Amino acid sequence: MKKANWFLLVLLLALGMFLAACSGGDSDGGSEEAEGSGDGEDTEESSGGDSEQILNITDTAEIPTMDSSMATDAVAFQWLGSTTDGLYRLDLDANPEPGIAEDHEESEDGLTWTFNLREDATWSNGDPVTAHDFVYAWQRAVNPDTGSEYGPYMMSGVIENAEAIAAGDAEVEDLGVEATDDYTLEVSLEKPTPYFESLTAFGTFLPLNEEFVEEHGEDYALEADTLLSNGPFKFEEWGSEGWKLVKNEDYWDADNVQLEEINVDVVKETSAAVNLYETDEIDRVGLSSEFVDEYRSSEEFRVEEEPTLFYLKMNQENEILGNVNARKAIQKVIDRQAMVDTILNNGSLPGVGDIPQNFAMHPETEEDFREINGDLIETNVEEAQELWETAKEELDIEEAELGYLGGDTEVAQQMDAYIKDQLEQLDGLTVNVQSVPFQERLDRDTEMDYDLQNSGWGPDYVDPNTFLNMWVTDGGNNKTGYSSEEYDALIEEANDELALEPVDRFENFLEAEKLLIEEDAVIAPLYQRAAAQLWKPYVKDVGVNPMGPDYTYKYAHIDGKE
Amino acid sequence: MGRYITQRLVYMVITMFLIATFTFFLMKFLPGTPLSSADRLSEEQQAIVLAKYGLDEPIPVQYFNYMVNLLQGDMGVSFQFDNREVTTIILDRIGPSLQLGFQAMIIGTILGMLLGLISAIYHNGVLDYGSTFTAVLGQSIPSFVFAGILQYFVGVKLGWFPVALWGTWQHTVLPTIALAIFPLAIAARFMRTEMLEVMGSDYITTARAKGVNKFGVVFKHGVRNALIPLITVLGPLAIGLMTGTLVIENIFAVPGIGEQFVKSINTNDYPIIMGTTLFFAVFFILIVLVIDLLYGVIDPRIRLAEGE
Repeated sequence: MKKANWFLLVLLLALGMFLAACSGGDSDGGSEEAEGSGDGEDTEESSGGDSEQILNITDTAEIPTMDSSMATDAVAFQWLGSTTDGLYRLDLDANPEPGIAEDHEESEDGLTWTFNLREDATWSNGDPVTAHDFVYAWQRAVNPDTGSEYGPYMMSGVIENAEAIAAGDAEVEDLGVEATDDYTLEVSLEKPTPYFESLTAFGTFLPLNEEFVEEHGEDYALEADTLLSNGPFKFEEWGSEGWKLVKNEDYWDADNVQLEEINVDVVKETSAAVNLYETDEIDRVGLSSEFVDEYRSSEEFRVEEEPTLFYLKMNQENEILGNVNARKAIQKVIDRQAMVDTILNNGSLPGVGDIPQNFAMHPETEEDFREINGDLIETNVEEAQELWETAKEELDIEEAELGYLGGDTEVAQQMDAYIKDQLEQLDGLTVNVQSVPFQERLDRDTEMDYDLQNSGWGPDYVDPNTFLNMWVTDGGNNKTGYSSEEYDALIEEANDELALEPVDRFENFLEAEKLLIEEDAVIAPLYQRAAAQLWKPYVKDVGVNPMGPDYTYKYAHIDGKE
Repeated sequence: MGRYITQRLVYMVITMFLIATFTFFLMKFLPGTPLSSADRLSEEQQAIVLAKYGLDEPIPVQYFNYMVNLLQGDMGVSFQFDNREVTTIILDRIGPSLQLGFQAMIIGTILGMLLGLISAIYHNGVLDYGSTFTAVLGQSIPSFVFAGILQYFVGVKLGWFPVALWGTWQHTVLPTIALAIFPLAIAARFMRTEMLEVMGSDYITTARAKGVNKFGVVFKHGVRNALIPLITVLGPLAIGLMTGTLVIENIFAVPGIGEQFVKSINTNDYPIIMGTTLFFAVFFILIVLVIDLLYGVIDPRIRLAEGE
């Protein structure tokens, strides 16, 4: 008996060893990469003068998908953008530059765009990149069987028949995109779309090699070797701990690509990333607010403005918020400067409108939209108080209680507590903050089950329409109950009669923003987000983009790394 | 014993079925959809995509479909990682979590037991106070604080081990130490208490009277008896460590399962929620079984089933 028991113990120990061996095996697999990067550093040191063209960075999340039809998030769009050229791509200054398309012609009515493709572009399996690859990719993105979210979202109302196809009411072949020959792509638009050129650089519009995609079926884009590239870089390794891109020697513009390698590790914790940066393991790190003071004076410190806006949505179905003076009081009472300085502390700008700074420029004068319209709201507690008193009189109330829907992250909670404090400066106002997860906030937004809501929006294309279009009557993301004929008319005109009159169109948007913020006080702008970062000084020429891929690495190079 | 194990395995299947059922229905109470851009799509557009994944069916039908697939060994594909098999996602990430948990348990338990033993042998001496102090410290400092300190001083300042990331065995050193502190403290405290109790009992006095020396008594009679309560406590702790710890994995950027589980809940990734829950459940049940079997090995007085 006793012997048998000892036998069992040995067996268990053996099992334990087996488990350890299993996991050991896994780590062996991963170690190749780590050793690889280790070797890289060694050679860097020995080579001295000439820097190795290797960029080491981190991402805060894994790549959810590399299938351009399915991509929805910043990480996916970033690495799609680095490995695949669309018709156009974003250059160092975030302007569209020729990618697979050499140039294009627009028809006079603005409805037909003809792209002339270069003939020297190839996929990394050697196949040429043709107009058919675009036709296939765009059809696939709107096909309801694909289950894409961004396909229907980006193409509906832009490309002819996209909406009907996505809803299952038309055949995929009816999509307004056609390859007239191997290197000519003809696109028919639903209506003139002035920002269509910038859309062609966006991830959802990238080409796909039909034969390759169909051959791999459900495994397409799940691993480094079920992926194709036609861009500056291609995947060499891709795992849950990170990925490695190498220069694509067959890229049509390979002569202008200097980086040999991009190593990306997934690091979610800012402190870990900062420590890796301090030990020179990585070349860039994003700072959360608690690290900003420590590094603000460093020469490696940089602030990057993002075109993402945050604001309070005010539900006009609420009795109090249905009153425009009450809404104006709320707009004016919040000290935004103090909020971005103390709570966010990362270079974010106080919100003053519904279009971010450095996002849209006047078509002729090149002046910034934000500069032209200026600050549409200014903090003034006394004026706010007066407006509030008027509102109370009009509503015939003494006291008011409002619910406030906020996020559940630490920063969101700090900010919401601050805003509550600011709002309660208004006499007799009580604000009840509810911190809920993102998903629940979306649900309650859809059902308009809120009074005040801390909400945000990032652009989908470089045009004021992406921000202003959402506030039209019954707009999918309006959900404030705001409905103004005047506003609707301005937006509709901009997208219809004025679609080919850039200057007048721009004027319409300027007017619409004033109406939205100044007169009707639909939202209370809070801030425009920025990101504080540290960059090693030897990393040069990385382009920063307002949308699509966050960074352009095509022209990046390492210069003067010891 | 074979019969006992069979019986336990049958119970396991029933338990798994119940867990799967409860989790499935509870999970459907989560607000929101698995769509990653629900804020951008119109309700009609959302409905079309949801229908593609069978999420437009009534929940009992979805449940039935899921269970049928599960019985055929198909756990479905993830929503956040489009088209990726749930099993692949779990298997990819469980390795690092298991390895760290296993290393931390072994190191923590062995060192903790030694510390506890020293305390017990030199009861009320300087060594006792020293190790008790260490144990209290280990139990009361949160592991993320300890991890942060290790990362900064040992990783950045001294440069002895990698600061974070995954790859070589060196990368596992700091997270292992950070994880090992808690089981170490627990093991030390239990070992000390139990040893003091055991060493005071009659049969120890008898053994001493028979001439067995102090260390012989400690190891031959004392430790073995002190192990039973220790295993009871350490078993569940081991499961917690090996199934991944969100905080430590994040701090050291370990590609483990802990974070994935939390993320799947936040993003309504139903197949992953189900997959990880079931995986953890199987793991838990198996470890409990192993612990029960271990009892019999350590203490012959404990019988697993009649006739054994």
